[in-house]
Amino acid sequence: MKFSAHPELLELLAASYALGTLRAAARRRFETLAREQAPVRAAALAWQSRLASMAELQQPVAPDPVVWTRIRNLIAAEQQQQAIGRQRIAAAAPASVPARGGWLRNLALWRGAAAAGVAAAVIATVVGLRFGEQLRNAPAEQYVAVLSDDSASASMLVTFDPKKQRLLLQRLGSYREDEDKSLQLWALPTGGAPRSLGVLGRDRTLSLPAHEADMRAVPALAVSLEPRGGVPGEGGPTGPVLFKGALIEKTL
Amino acid sequence: MRHNPPMPDSSPDAELMALIDLVGRRDENALRLLYERTSPKLFGLAMRVLRQREWAEDVLQESFLTIWRVAGDYRSTLSPPLAWMGLIVRSRSLDLLRRRSADRAHLTQEFDEQMAETFESSAANPMDTTDASEQAWALHQCLSRLEDGQREVLSLAYLRELSHSELAGQLKLPLGTVKTWIRRGLEKLRSCMQQFT
Repeated sequence: MKFSAHPELLELLAASYALGTLRAAARRRFETLAREQAPVRAAALAWQSRLASMAELQQPVAPDPVVWTRIRNLIAAEQQQQAIGRQRIAAAAPASVPARGGWLRNLALWRGAAAAGVAAAVIATVVGLRFGEQLRNAPAEQYVAVLSDDSASASMLVTFDPKKQRLLLQRLGSYREDEDKSLQLWALPTGGAPRSLGVLGRDRTLSLPAHEADMRAVPALAVSLEPRGGVPGEGGPTGPVLFKGALIEKTL
Repeated sequence: MRHNPPMPDSSPDAELMALIDLVGRRDENALRLLYERTSPKLFGLAMRVLRQREWAEDVLQESFLTIWRVAGDYRSTLSPPLAWMGLIVRSRSLDLLRRRSADRAHLTQEFDEQMAETFESSAANPMDTTDASEQAWALHQCLSRLEDGQREVLSLAYLRELSHSELAGQLKLPLGTVKTWIRRGLEKLRSCMQQFT
């Protein structure tokens, strides 16, 4: 097609293409032309860009403040995971030299060496003071976990607040259990049976009492689908695990 | 007392672009400011596409996580800042709609009812040019010269990625009317936008 003789026709086709209302066959023909002829491509890009501004003209609506809290928490968890990843890489490097790594790991020898020198003791005190200061200034959540489903989309954010001794759960995805079911949160300790941390209600957020001891030595958390009210007694999960994720201790 | 302008060029676009640059350098405070400045507009957009508060909130959250991750690439897109963020929100919203309609393939009727709106209610939806880029201002000028019906079918066709027959279904209008409005609306939009190029 010769568009040079019909500039309005090209504009109109490009506008329909960008709007998305060209039928499938016409769309494919237009895409072929755009690949072959730069002016056709330019017209399509110009109209895509013009129509993209439709997004700028919508009436503002204030979102619920909880949306920002969710964004902030997810970003904090992501940053935390990246920082831990970097630390692991840093920690792995010296350990690859066997003799030195072995010596460092010998805790008794390390303590003895530190106690032997006055200078070392002074350093230890300063480090101790700084550590105490950091403890006081540390953010409230000392443990955090993002639980994901099979497709790795984040479904629940779990944070532990050591000051209030509470676990805070936020539902992130759109999953809703049926009326006759409940979600139950489990700690998965290394080499031990899953331990129930509580049963979730229908709300998007939930706060459960918990002790720091419950969180220690627990590498992962999981949520299973159970009969309404959760598994009775001391038994383990009976239903399928829907979400799980690593429990991360925030480093001070 | 007069405060110094926050940026050398204090147009809304320049300010948003500076914030996006900072977000690209992992500045969480800049993300917060960007959210405060743009979330009502972007949430309004998500609500327009999805018409469901909870879905729109999920989309807004996902979109800002995307913006956090890809802000470093923003400059190379050559788009006005709000239009760029709007494209992210629109594409996330459309993804969610596609997922939901697949989930509910057996409940199509219910889904259609949820998405349906009477033509009168959507035609009453005015446009808003707060923080709009020059390009959006031009589009606004040209769209406001269209008849209400033409403007609405064009807006919804674009925002919800709807075909002629889907538009006719959602707006409860005859298919012929939708086709005519789109054709005439686009023709007027084309001749009007020429003045701005």
